Amino acid sequence: MVSSVAAARARLLSGSRGRLLNGALFVLIAIAAVILATKVAANGPAYFIQIVVYGLANGSIFALIALGYTMVYGIVELINFAHGDVFTLGGFISLWLLPIFGINEGGGTTGLGLIVPLIAILIISMTVCAVVNVAIERVAYRPLRHAPRLTPLITAVGMSFVLEGIMFLWRGPFNLHYPNVLPPASIEIGGSGGPAITSKDLAVIAIAVVLMVALTLFVERTKLGKAMRATAQDRDAAELMGIDINRTIAATFFIGALLAGAGGMIFGLYYNTITFDQGFTAGLVAFTAAVFGGIGNIQGAALGGLVIGMIQSLSDGYFDTAWTQVLIFAILVLVLVFRPTGILGMRVPEK
Amino acid sequence: MHKRWLSISTVLTAVALVAAACGGGGTGASTTAPAGTTGAAATTAAAAAGEIIIASDLPTSGADASSGLPTQNGAAFAVSQTPSYKGIKFTFKPFDDTVNGVHDPQKGAQNVQQMLSDPKVLAMVGPFNSNVARAEIPIANQGPLAMMSPSNTNECLTQTFPYCDPQPKALRPTGKNNYFRIAAPDTVQGPAMADYILNTLKLTKVAVFSDNETFGKGVADNFVNRFKAKGGTVTNRSDFDWKTTNDFKPFINAAKAAGAQAIYAGATSATKGCIVRSQMAGILDVPFTGPDGIGDDQCLKDAGSNTANMYFTNAAGDANQNPDAASTVAAFKQAYPKASDVGAYTFPAYDCALILVDSIKRAIDANGGKVPSRQQVIDAVQATSGLKGTVGTYAFDANGDPKSATMAFWATKGTPAAWVFQSQFSVGQ
Repeated sequence: MVSSVAAARARLLSGSRGRLLNGALFVLIAIAAVILATKVAANGPAYFIQIVVYGLANGSIFALIALGYTMVYGIVELINFAHGDVFTLGGFISLWLLPIFGINEGGGTTGLGLIVPLIAILIISMTVCAVVNVAIERVAYRPLRHAPRLTPLITAVGMSFVLEGIMFLWRGPFNLHYPNVLPPASIEIGGSGGPAITSKDLAVIAIAVVLMVALTLFVERTKLGKAMRATAQDRDAAELMGIDINRTIAATFFIGALLAGAGGMIFGLYYNTITFDQGFTAGLVAFTAAVFGGIGNIQGAALGGLVIGMIQSLSDGYFDTAWTQVLIFAILVLVLVFRPTGILGMRVPEK
Repeated sequence: MHKRWLSISTVLTAVALVAAACGGGGTGASTTAPAGTTGAAATTAAAAAGEIIIASDLPTSGADASSGLPTQNGAAFAVSQTPSYKGIKFTFKPFDDTVNGVHDPQKGAQNVQQMLSDPKVLAMVGPFNSNVARAEIPIANQGPLAMMSPSNTNECLTQTFPYCDPQPKALRPTGKNNYFRIAAPDTVQGPAMADYILNTLKLTKVAVFSDNETFGKGVADNFVNRFKAKGGTVTNRSDFDWKTTNDFKPFINAAKAAGAQAIYAGATSATKGCIVRSQMAGILDVPFTGPDGIGDDQCLKDAGSNTANMYFTNAAGDANQNPDAASTVAAFKQAYPKASDVGAYTFPAYDCALILVDSIKRAIDANGGKVPSRQQVIDAVQATSGLKGTVGTYAFDANGDPKSATMAFWATKGTPAAWVFQSQFSVGQ
């Protein structure tokens, strides 16, 4: 009797403490919003538009990576820790291909002479990443499909280190310069001196949008897409209906890595630097984006990526960069407390 | 069965990779001084008189190797010029403080521990990085082992300022000093660039960023204080978490909006300092300045095609400007002929080893021709006075700082861009 009263009191206390914490978080974010609003007003609209453009470009890259996490989680309920490194691999492969296709920084190639090889490199990098990811699935995840949940998690961490190790040995440990090959042309909004949308920003956003539209069409309109959705809903029932589960799961890994590979290349083109271990942080942020939008939900991952990219750019642009991670995760905690399944809701098999 | 083989081979590959990565960063075997050792070791009496090891701790693998290896070469060459003294053999033993190719304070501390466990090690050259020094000094201090750094510039390693954390006293648990350096501290380096921007480049508005590390943030703070005191304006400042930040464009745009005429980078090329230069292309075309940490080839590579108008301060002089050092420079080039064998800190490291050899010789004399104790070596280093090296003349104050140091300015010139010496001046303290 006494103990149950104590337990109830403890529950009550922890409940109010939890509410207090949420309140504190809410106040923190509200303060940030107010400061942001005054800073935006003080710095004028031109600067704000510029920051928003960066946010869109940043967010597009996160969204491309997040899609791979969310698709794989949706179908096999596995956090593919190697996914971030598959993304990095896309950057490394394309960096290696650039000079082979005759594209060098300051090389003076423009127009079709630049676009055609870049698209070829993009497609090759995406394909290599996809093949690698399918191989990882075949070697490290498929044999463990009926093993306890923790086992493939550990092999995923292992594959992540293997990929990082390979890239480390290939190109060394440090920041590699990724050639700045996109033309410096930019559109200046509201005349010269206004916020500039450069060819880089446009290329990143355009590639991401095209790929995401293609993915949505693929998942909703094709037979394989239908098989994926069916497998995600109920694997056993899908198998009974004659769907080749192994092939469908492999296809999911393939498509997820296509997007990550593209993300890796546009990351390099955009920031002009890549590092063998960048996939760890980028992957963590992208995974966060996937959870933010609702894990397993494709539109959610895209939205989550964009939101996090936008928060990051606003925070970098108006506050100190030291606050960026704090702000992202404070907002994440708050959103998940009120919507535990993410903004657009979770889409995973119900058990 | 087939499936299993695939898995096994993957695991084996992983193991091999890990082994390779570890092998690359090993502690390094003892390298005996190459020239003239046979003569010294010929008599058994000489062998009985003993051996003294001068160790070094530098980042010599991975990307840090581009600055660490040339530095190690300088120290190795200096020790090889004195194979023995009074029958006591001098040996050089290099240690590597990188983990995954990046300098690592914990690895440095382990290396010092290893040096302490070998009674033959009487002194060390290094470390290269200020944050490594911060981890190593307290351990070496309990040896006590004499440390002599060619390149540490963080002022808090030796001098007491209210903002220092930890204070130099806390780094020396025994209360006695064992740490010396020949580089000018950041209290000189940051202000030197502030004066250069105001007086030589004639610019008054600067945007400042740092990598938030011991060195980068410290030198940026010193730059900002001096620049403001002399009438300049700091338009905006960011301290990046360099490991997670890739997008520096918001900072660059804020600088542009505020009318910055130059950028000061409190960073090194290893902490993405020069990626910022690359991302400035097409947004903000102003001079890019920084401390010695950006003065290497990696920085020029990172900057891509945006290499014009870059400047850095070097906390040591240029041996090529010293006519008395010409023969030493020539001899070094004969022993180490490759262009990548020599770097900005090769001859400062040569001087460090030279000071240690000279001090150990005096300690041997004072000890009646026998191998001295570690404390006797430290006392001899402290007593160094007027010793001429390739880039300076050396004596030390009670903190371990050089009584006079040289500060040089370098700038990018030509296509493809290269760092070119501009001018240098001496600072007495």
